[in-house]
Amino acid sequence: MTAEQKPASDYMLELGAITKSYGGNTILHGVSLRVARGEVCSIIGPSGAGKSTLLRCINLIEQPDSGNMLMDGDFFELSQRLSKSDLMALRRKCGMVFQSFNLFPHMTVLQNITFPQRHVLGKDEDSARESALALLDRVGLKNKADSHPGQLSGGQQQRVAIARALALEPQLMLFDEPTSALDPELAHEVLEVMRELAESGMTMVVVTHAMNFARTVGSHLVVMADGAIIEEGVPEEIMSNPSKERTRQFLSVVEH
Amino acid sequence: MTTPLLTSWGQYLPPLLSGLVQSVWLAVAAIVIGLPLAFLFCTMVMSENRLIGALGLVIVEIGRGMPALVILYLVYYGLPRFGISLANVAAAIIALAWNYSCYCSEIIRGGIQSVPRGQIEAGNALGLDSRVTFLRVIVPQGLRSAIPGLLGQSILVFQDTSLAYTIAVPELMKQAYSLGGENYQYLRVFVLTGLVYAAVTLPATWITVWMERRLGKSY
Repeated sequence: MTAEQKPASDYMLELGAITKSYGGNTILHGVSLRVARGEVCSIIGPSGAGKSTLLRCINLIEQPDSGNMLMDGDFFELSQRLSKSDLMALRRKCGMVFQSFNLFPHMTVLQNITFPQRHVLGKDEDSARESALALLDRVGLKNKADSHPGQLSGGQQQRVAIARALALEPQLMLFDEPTSALDPELAHEVLEVMRELAESGMTMVVVTHAMNFARTVGSHLVVMADGAIIEEGVPEEIMSNPSKERTRQFLSVVEH
Repeated sequence: MTTPLLTSWGQYLPPLLSGLVQSVWLAVAAIVIGLPLAFLFCTMVMSENRLIGALGLVIVEIGRGMPALVILYLVYYGLPRFGISLANVAAAIIALAWNYSCYCSEIIRGGIQSVPRGQIEAGNALGLDSRVTFLRVIVPQGLRSAIPGLLGQSILVFQDTSLAYTIAVPELMKQAYSLGGENYQYLRVFVLTGLVYAAVTLPATWITVWMERRLGKSY
């Protein structure tokens, strides 16, 4: 990681030729992607395209085989494992929301949000609690602070998970199919929270099947298939007039 | 000529109860020593250091592979060969504690491994130190699912204390044997002895089932 001043890059995230394979299967064939500051980048595509793997390579939940990354001005070479401090620095910059929420079931909603703040940011209990309650208010769940995740609906759990990630003040938010485990009504309340987050200027990378969200909230659409980006650009343009046959095929299936 | 059943049971009960006290004490000692050992063995088995992992595995597999009685004999009759002579009570406690800790180690490991992988990923994604994730996120959840198994194993170690009669520890089984030898009423003595064991193990089992139900519900 280079410690110089942040270059005045317009990009929050630049991925360079990320590759990843499991066993003999290549999941990502050298994917490069640039995400501008404040942009909402939606990644769509058929399952098995490598969307989630790409997202998980960004915060190194998955270790890429090779490639490099510039995140908020910090450069990371990914062909070898990062040092622990580089890894922590990288993860400090990005928050992640999972398809299966992954809240800590043995903690209350409030503790889920204060616990990482205390350990990662070194905050004291009072200030962690204060920001947790403010965030819960923001996602409309202040009254659930003392509940356990198991007592909440899926949509509520996902909103808590978003609040938990935001509490660590990330520069970039990664969403891995955040509404795929939810029925449409619950998905809607999560997407609303994400819409507000986008409007507040957060840079977001969202792997999703929620086409309406990608079209109306997203400013950048990336279509992946077979471990590569096949098309990217303005969502409305791609959706109404895809240039690749594979994109057309995929969109015709998901549109209705 | 035969005394009524209840009268003879009334006579047997005091010595049996003093044996029961000894049995309970053996079991409690084995559990108090065995549980920390179980955590230690489990940590060893799960260690990323292969040498420590292999050592842990050897300890645990030997402890689980041999019948408790064989372990008891090895400790009581075998260790003096190496200059370590133990009183019978101490030998019984050590043998039972080892056997118990090896089973518990595997129960704890199973509990920890049952915690969904997503929990570790969430900890990583949040930037938590892996030690913090393990101790504060994984272990509490894993132990929770291990509790019923640990309680069940604790009931078994209480029953296993009956093996200590073979090295003349004056526990419940030994008292029963002596009583039987005095009046040749083995059937009466052992039925009552079985009831005394059951008077401890059955309520303990009910508690386990109750705990299991309670823990099965969400937090």
